[in-house]
Formats: sequence, C-alpha cells, structure tokens
Amino acid sequence: MIGRLLIAMAMLSMLCACGAPRNMFVLLPEEDGSVGQITVSNEHGQQTLTQPWQATGMNSANQAPQVPQEMAPETVKELFQKSLSAQPLPPMHFLLYCTADSVELTEKSKRQIPEILAAIKWRDSVDTSVIGHADTAGSSVYNLALSKRRAQAVGKLLIAQGVNPDILEISSHGERDLLIPTPDNVSEPLNRRVEVTVR
Amino acid sequence: MTRFQVVVLCVTLLGGLFLAQQAVAEEIIGSVKVAQGEATIQRGEQTIDAAPGVRLFPGDTLQTGADGRIGVIFRDDTLLSLGPGSELVIEDFLFSPADNHLSMILRMLHGLAAYVSGKIAKLAPEAVKIETPVGTVGVRGTRMLIRIED
Repeated sequence: MIGRLLIAMAMLSMLCACGAPRNMFVLLPEEDGSVGQITVSNEHGQQTLTQPWQATGMNSANQAPQVPQEMAPETVKELFQKSLSAQPLPPMHFLLYCTADSVELTEKSKRQIPEILAAIKWRDSVDTSVIGHADTAGSSVYNLALSKRRAQAVGKLLIAQGVNPDILEISSHGERDLLIPTPDNVSEPLNRRVEVTVR
Repeated sequence: MTRFQVVVLCVTLLGGLFLAQQAVAEEIIGSVKVAQGEATIQRGEQTIDAAPGVRLFPGDTLQTGADGRIGVIFRDDTLLSLGPGSELVIEDFLFSPADNHLSMILRMLHGLAAYVSGKIAKLAPEAVKIETPVGTVGVRGTRMLIRIED
C-alpha cells in the first residue's frame, strides 16, 4: 500500500518537472525572503502567484494559465540557469547629506565621495544617477531649485575627481520624495540629501 | 548680416546643439552590464553588438542567439537578463517620478528571462506590463522568471 503511494508520488513529481508547460511564469522570493506578486492573464483566464517558487503557465495562447503549483527551487534554477547567470549586480546606493538651506555636504558625507568614485570604477558604470532632494522647509518651488543645485554640486564634485560627465544623470525631486515623511515646512536633516546610484 | 547678428546666430545654434545633446542624454533608459556569445540590440534598422557599457533606448529589441546571454539594468534599477534564443522589445520606459511619469512595458517574444523589478514597480505597479504571445504579466514588486516557447 505504502509502496504504491510512493510510486504514485514519484510519478506525480516527475510529471510536475517534465510536464511543465512550454510557457512558464515563476515567482521568486526577494533577497530578504519577502515575496511580491505576479498576475498572468490572457483572454481565457487569469492566475495570481503570491508564494515563492509558485509557477503558472500554458502550452499555447488558447489555454488559460494553469492553477499555480509550487515548484522545487532546484528545478526552477536548472530550467532558468542560462538567464539567471546573466543577471547584472543590483545597483549600489549612496546617501549624501547637506546642511540646511545649502548645497554643502556634511563632513561625514564628504568622506563618502572616494567610495562613490571607487564604485563607479569597479562597476564600469555608464549610468550613475545623482538625485537631489530637499526637506519641506520652504516652498516647493524653492525646494525644487535647491535640490537641483544640490544634485549639480555633487555632479560637479564627481566630475572634478575624474568621472566622465556622460555617465551622470543629474536630476532633482524637490520635496516630493521624502525619506522621512514630515508635514510641510519641517526642517529634517535626513531629507536634505543627494542620492547617488551607481549602476 | 551685421557682425552682431552673426554672433547671435552662432550662439543660438550652439545652444540648440547643446540642448539637443541633453535631450538625447535624457532618453537613455539603461545599459548593458553582461553579454556573452551572440547578443545584439536591434534599433530601427541598426543591429548593435550588445556589450557591457552599451546604452539602451526606448524601442530597442534585445536578441540572443543559440549561445547568447544578455543582462541589462534600467534607469529605475530594474534588472533584466535573457538566456539563449531570446527576443524582447522594450516597448516603453518612462521614469520621471518628479512629475509622476512612470511606465515600463516589455514585450517578450520568446526565450528565457529573469526579471527583478525596480522603482517603477514600487511607485506604480500598475504601470508595469510584460506582454507575451500567451498572456500579459502584471507585477507588484517582484522577482520572476519567464519562459516562452510559443
């Protein structure tokens, strides 16, 4: 009896691996173990994946997406090895802070510049963004201009140290993109920042 | 033309050229970080060899041959990599959070893909769509794998 059950389970698991549909969609866990969500839909149906390693798919456009099944991580990694092996490194993020109502970097942030230069070199980056921000003290128009000047100041600093200006994307988000949510007209040092992202 | 008029004309032309360059720089939506074997970018009539450092523009089609692989990173930090025998069109990419212009539409024709979502999916998940011949994928801050053998 148990023997038969085991054989049936073995056959089922074989089916799950080589019976996988030709077209597949698999949800993976995030690096921190959390998981997002994907929805696959066509005119015949829709499925939502919410658990890591869940897969859905169909053999043709005439089929609805199959009921989600959890796959073995090893099987998934094997099937997709050739695309996973070409995955780029995620970007490196740096946060630089400015003193109130100025484009001056804090002493601590000035000391981060060499790290940023090294990252740009190491990653052979051709796409590094420098995004200026402001806290909510002052009008939003004023803060858009201030955050722009902050980004430009950091950009100039990097260029002066040898970074190719062509690789820099310099932009500003004014007071729209607060790191620490605050009401209007609140001085918050952690919002007075320039984010440098090295890709 | 007086000398003054000539000077004004020159300054205007140079200014225009500078602005045009800035506009082109604005349109860059990402770059190639990994490329192996036969890997190309189709841009209109042009076929460009994909190599680390090559920049991407909206409308680019990423293609890999039987031994090719390509890995790219977009301006919003989305990671996308393709295995051999793949073809994917970057239909739309807009990342301008300051004025809420966010959009990412990819059309995967066939092959193997690995995708790690970036800021557009975080700020506006409904603005991210991956179209395939067999169905459309909507995401909510996610890592996923797609195989299309249609």
